[in-house]
Amino acid sequence: MNRIKNSLVLVSVLLIVTFIVFILAWLNSPEYASYIDLQTVLTTSTATFGTILGIITAGLMFTQGRFSELSSELSEKSPNYLMKEFSLEKIQSIGNRLLFLQKTYVRLAEAATVVEEKSLYQRIVAKATSMIVDSAVLLDLELKQKGFPESALLASEMGSTLYKVYEKRRKNVKKEWHMLKTIKQIVDVWEAPASFFVNRPSEKSALHSDLNNSISILKLKENIDKSSAGIRAGIEEATENVEDEIGRIGERLRKDRIPQLLSQIEQASVLRGKYFYLTLVFIAVPFLINLLILPQLSEATVVFFRQIVSVTSLLSVMGVVFLLLYIHKILNV
Amino acid sequence: MKNTAEERIKVLLKKHTYPPLEVIIPILQKAGRGEQELSAQLYATEVGVIKGMREILGLKENDLKTLAKIFGVMMAHYGQKFEPIELSESRFSVGIRDCPMMHVGKDVGVNVKSKFCDLVCSNGLSALKDSFGQDNIVCSWDKALIKGGGKCKLVFELVKSK
Repeated sequence: MNRIKNSLVLVSVLLIVTFIVFILAWLNSPEYASYIDLQTVLTTSTATFGTILGIITAGLMFTQGRFSELSSELSEKSPNYLMKEFSLEKIQSIGNRLLFLQKTYVRLAEAATVVEEKSLYQRIVAKATSMIVDSAVLLDLELKQKGFPESALLASEMGSTLYKVYEKRRKNVKKEWHMLKTIKQIVDVWEAPASFFVNRPSEKSALHSDLNNSISILKLKENIDKSSAGIRAGIEEATENVEDEIGRIGERLRKDRIPQLLSQIEQASVLRGKYFYLTLVFIAVPFLINLLILPQLSEATVVFFRQIVSVTSLLSVMGVVFLLLYIHKILNV
Repeated sequence: MKNTAEERIKVLLKKHTYPPLEVIIPILQKAGRGEQELSAQLYATEVGVIKGMREILGLKENDLKTLAKIFGVMMAHYGQKFEPIELSESRFSVGIRDCPMMHVGKDVGVNVKSKFCDLVCSNGLSALKDSFGQDNIVCSWDKALIKGGGKCKLVFELVKSK
């Protein structure tokens, strides 16, 4: 969603800049320009665009090469995760414990009267639900890989809205390595850097730390009025078990440098997309110049094409500047 | 197998979690009781953390420099920044720009926050004294953050026993 928003902003900015450039070039075009001058300008612009296109294509090929390299490295590693780290039994066991935690905290949230407490429990429910959905996606993938029919073990507990989210996430796993993204998502929800004894609402806290916080609260309540006696033990046990499993998987992910590789592949993917759009622009403009303007340019049409030529030449200068800025940005990543 | 000190500290801090004051204070305020239970929880957590840190980092001394090291490591692991002001044989002071009370809801009055600030800091001090076996450590906190200031000053001093 954010990516679409960014693309829309980028496209809007590009359109506005092009429009302003067009107006400026139109207004500031020279009063008199000869046919030869205009032809030279057009040929130079075409050559500039061609050179830029060459550089961009090289960049695109390089980024694509890096993307494929990372993709095959991740794809090689992913089956191992489903076989060992996230075996059917483990996913089912994690899923069941998360379901237990989710149901328990739904009840606790309903019973809580203090806003802060209620919001903590609701946060736990939301995060546990997200982990359940991701676990269901992994379960489905593994069942398919092993040739078993689809199990509704985790999916059957979902409401219609949640099921849609599950379906969407399941469809997003198109390549083998996408599964690692799902596993990392599960680990990221569970564990996050520790924060001071406060959980700032604006910051993303880990489910594990939220659970520990809630255990502290339940312990305190137990000492005050025995209202939460019995609940805490179950939560503590489920939390410890999930922590054991997810902690091990998180460690393995870090050992295999999966978070870094995923972040690199994401960057390469974004860069590849940008290069692609740039290539389109730099193919379209010389095409326009060569096929539409140059053949029509003659002594008689010089006056008519004067402004258009100013625009294309200004665009080629902008293209060079833009490319230099872009290269500078890439080098600084 | 958790081998590195960093890993062991991470596990230690996961094991000894501080109670979430921004949630607990409104609950206790509504219940009108439970401060003693909170004190006990805070004390147990602090003692567990200090003891574990000393073991992991191999800190056997009972002086203020050791205290400063533990304080620094703890703050770093909680992602909390502090500004060192002074460190000598008899005095260790730091400036803190963020504290748990800053995240307690706006509905909770300054007086209540001040009371719980005292409760948290005094329990921390008791835990320090007991863990270091030093009765002559004193600590003062100016509560500047609660009063609207930008930085709270925390001073630990080693006083001569009478």
